[in-house]
Amino acid sequence: MTYRIGSAQGFYGDDVTKALPMILGGHVDVVCFEALSELTLAILQKDKLANPKRGYTFDLRVIAQKILPEAFRRKIPLITNGGGLNPPAAAEMVRETAAQMGLHGLKIAAVTGDDVLARLPELQAAGETLAHLETGERLADSSNQTLVTANVYLGAAPIVEALQAGADLVITGRVADPCLYLAPLVAHFGWGWDDWDRLAAGIVCGHLLECTGQVVGGNSLALIHDINPADLPNLGYPIAHVEADGSFVVTKTPGMPGRVTLETVKEQLLYEVHDPAHYVTPDVVADFTTLRLEADSDDRVRVTGVTGRPRPDKLKLNAGRLEGFMRELIFTIGWPEAWRKVEQMKAMLDMFFQKQPGIERVAYSYLGINSLYGSVAPLPDDPLEIIVRVVFTAQDQETLKQAVRQIMTTGLSGPAGMSVSGTTVGAEPRYIIGLWPTLIDRAHITPQIDYLEVSA
Amino acid sequence: MTRRLYDLAYGREGDKGNIANISVIARTSQAYQELKAKLTAERVKAHLGDLVQGEVVRYELDNIEALNFVCYGALDGGATRSLRIDNLGKSLAGALLYMAWDE
Repeated sequence: MTYRIGSAQGFYGDDVTKALPMILGGHVDVVCFEALSELTLAILQKDKLANPKRGYTFDLRVIAQKILPEAFRRKIPLITNGGGLNPPAAAEMVRETAAQMGLHGLKIAAVTGDDVLARLPELQAAGETLAHLETGERLADSSNQTLVTANVYLGAAPIVEALQAGADLVITGRVADPCLYLAPLVAHFGWGWDDWDRLAAGIVCGHLLECTGQVVGGNSLALIHDINPADLPNLGYPIAHVEADGSFVVTKTPGMPGRVTLETVKEQLLYEVHDPAHYVTPDVVADFTTLRLEADSDDRVRVTGVTGRPRPDKLKLNAGRLEGFMRELIFTIGWPEAWRKVEQMKAMLDMFFQKQPGIERVAYSYLGINSLYGSVAPLPDDPLEIIVRVVFTAQDQETLKQAVRQIMTTGLSGPAGMSVSGTTVGAEPRYIIGLWPTLIDRAHITPQIDYLEVSA
Repeated sequence: MTRRLYDLAYGREGDKGNIANISVIARTSQAYQELKAKLTAERVKAHLGDLVQGEVVRYELDNIEALNFVCYGALDGGATRSLRIDNLGKSLAGALLYMAWDE
């Protein structure tokens, strides 16, 4: 029997109400919400430090108020990693909201165990070097120990357990994105944890769904002339129809704009993928090179032939570190002699950056000329306008503010006809979070599930 | 008009830490054979210049007639550290598809 998964969130801030037409139209059996990019947890840590009852995504309030009542009435489970750094607090917030709405008998599961920030010393003492995946440097040998987050990517198992225990809403923190979508398939079909081909098929299905609009015509270069620009904010979010053998069809919410074609599926299939024969997740290593795509009919693409290999022994851990602050200024420079004026301006700025102790990195680019394409972009000979963006960093905010004040003293002594964007002069420094991706033995990680209920 | 890689293919960029991948998806089977033969990792690395500090590795997907280029050190330290205005590197696929293709 076909099982239907809807995907209504691909990042913190996505339009989660796209779940409503799926649910009200009777088009789905479960809906998943993926809210956590690599950076999101560091953003949520700021909220949690300010208030220990925060640290989850605010989209969850919208899910609780607008979507949960409709889903609960129809016994459609919802799954989200929007619990961020605080799934228990998120679950408590949802429980209170649901109780006020009279959703008696509602069962919420909060999954934890991914957050290892407080456990890092213990893990290092147990022999984990937490070496950086790209540079090989050991965490203990790094000079910067200002860690703000450290979360392990969990697999689908705790979500499967919660669904089988009858949870109507499963709230997690960090879970590998496609595993959010694999979980309801394992719970529904009863696939074994060593059924590598089917698990891999579920991962590919999740990978295609997890970026919502990106598989239905959003962000699509291939379909840039096929999608009506005015339809983009209203795209029907994706739904997969999955069979017990792991084959599935990707489609979209019926009656809404968007397209699902071989092109949109190929674009999303390779999004954020490295070796396509070894797409590593906590539950299986999926091989994208054996699958076949078939355009079934309008806006239906069938995926078959996915294969998988045994899961890895280690889990991925991503830590976030505070690495200082940055400021940006934008200057406009016009013809004539625009390049000569740029030379004057850069000489002036460089002098201030050298005189100001604590300035670390400085980067210049010309908006509209080479800010996106760097050395790929040819520089024009005698441009009518050049917009110079300069970004500079320091460990503390005061150094950056002092540098801006110094730069502004040259207002009447700089290049002819130069101006500065006032909003950039008045802006506050932005903090820089550096990521530390590493691996950890899965034996150290035990997910926990807590259940909250609205009494009947 | 200059013929460009974009005439033969489309693609999308994705970021993970300081690593970007750029898919190059052929518009036709004939284009795929041409790209597979001539669009080497070395050529992509040379074209992208200072955008990519590390190596470029190419993967082939005959099943969907696409190539996947994994570019190390391509995001100025990663989305959260980058000083680029496009800190996620969303435009990198465009940078590659801009390659002149006068074969």
